Amino acid sequence: MSLTIAIPKGRLGTQAIQMFKAGGIGESIDEKSRKLVFKDEDINISFILLKNSDVITYIENGIADIGISGKDMIMEKGADIFELYQMNIGRCKMSVAGIKGKKVFKDDTIMRVATKFPEITKKYFDSRGQRINIIKLNGSIELAPILGLSDVIVDIVETGNTLKANGLEVFEDMYHISAMMISNRISYKFKRKEIKKIVELIRGEDEDGQDN
Amino acid sequence: MKFLNIEDEMKYFQKMFVLRREIEDFLFEEGYINIEPSIFEGYDEFIEINSRINKKSTVKVLDNNSEILILTPDITTGIVNKFLPRWEYGQKLKIFYYGKTYKHNGTGIKENREMGVEIIGEKNSNTDQYILSAARRIISRYSDEYLLEIGNSKFLKGIMQSCSFNKENYDNVMELLYSKNRQELKEYLSGLPFRDVMSTLLNILDLEGTFDEIMEQLDGLYLNDLMKQGIEELRQIDNEMKNTDHRVSYDLSMVSELSYYDGIILRGYIKGSNKEIIRGGRYDSFTKQYGQNIPAIGFKVELDELIKVLYKEEQK
Repeated sequence: MSLTIAIPKGRLGTQAIQMFKAGGIGESIDEKSRKLVFKDEDINISFILLKNSDVITYIENGIADIGISGKDMIMEKGADIFELYQMNIGRCKMSVAGIKGKKVFKDDTIMRVATKFPEITKKYFDSRGQRINIIKLNGSIELAPILGLSDVIVDIVETGNTLKANGLEVFEDMYHISAMMISNRISYKFKRKEIKKIVELIRGEDEDGQDN
Repeated sequence: MKFLNIEDEMKYFQKMFVLRREIEDFLFEEGYINIEPSIFEGYDEFIEINSRINKKSTVKVLDNNSEILILTPDITTGIVNKFLPRWEYGQKLKIFYYGKTYKHNGTGIKENREMGVEIIGEKNSNTDQYILSAARRIISRYSDEYLLEIGNSKFLKGIMQSCSFNKENYDNVMELLYSKNRQELKEYLSGLPFRDVMSTLLNILDLEGTFDEIMEQLDGLYLNDLMKQGIEELRQIDNEMKNTDHRVSYDLSMVSELSYYDGIILRGYIKGSNKEIIRGGRYDSFTKQYGQNIPAIGFKVELDELIKVLYKEEQK
């Protein structure tokens, strides 16, 4: 039975491809080529390389059966997919950050939060009963508090170096984020055994990776 | 579906009409009576019954007393609300309907055509079987590559009763089960008590596949009476279905967006389609809020999804 796997381009994808190859599949993938579709003919598995934020869309619509996506994207989209395995790559945190040492929690004004993740941000502050104004940005989030666009930011923090370089610090960690293996809900029903095999393969590679 | 030219759109309407009529003819001949569902529901009543539904997705309207109504997201709820308050002892209903449901889907209001079947007021060993067989006969008419998936909400309910979670814990666990997120479920449960029960809850995501596969996985796990009852009901169904059909699988972790199911839950899929074609189940306890526990079971066919399958088949 044929299977299509969606892989995000970029560092996460490179790591994932290494894991697939170490597990003996994905021989056909050549990251240096500009091709976006590869196929292991012998085992009938196709790999498609996509922009990381599009992986979920391809899976939700059943074009790809399974794929790899950051948990941040899954939460932001409220994706209706199965989250089959939390991988050991792409680990980081989603955090609230602001200008170092600056008090932002004033009583009399509503806090302004700049972020690429408005849905996650809204849900998080809603659950705490805190009213905020969300400012949706698409990049260079760190600039927002510096230039006075917002009081704080909500963003992915990996090492904290970018924050530091811009004179910001983490005020609060919100969620742990990592890469997830996800699958289309209907594909899973028809191809459960094949899909589980791939998940097991990645799990095996993950555990090997931890031993080293 | 949207069409550039009128001719294609006419073909579509024609096709939809034929599809509707085929299913309606089948149900009519099986002795079901056609009813016309209402499109309005009371917002508060609906949310109270269906707590897992996304409130934002409901389409609200105001009546002239400023009461909030919604355009129905689920027709079965409306049918129960319509008939149960006037229910007479011993009454039996075998009904089918065609109707539309409404939801906000982020970009606008989504209308969804569906055809539904309900049997209310009758329960014997054959009723479940009868409904399952009707579902199978409808779906198998439109594709050879279909799959019927059967679960039983009593199993999960049994676990949840033993855990006595508060509402927040309950909702979170349900959400994690719905997305089959094993690791986060494990992490979440590790912070909660009730050790025995947890062994089953942690392994519940493995309880899928053929009935025999599930029985193997169940070995050594915690089971209470309600859970056992759920499994027994599935065993009976499996005994019957085995002889007639191999395209049946079971999933004990099945979570439905509509929380009124109380027993058998049914899903029907067709390969190549991207949504459930058939959804349904038993909802006896739903009727209890009207003072009587009336047995009820039914399912609906997603016509918009089914017609997409027919278009795909045609292109092959």
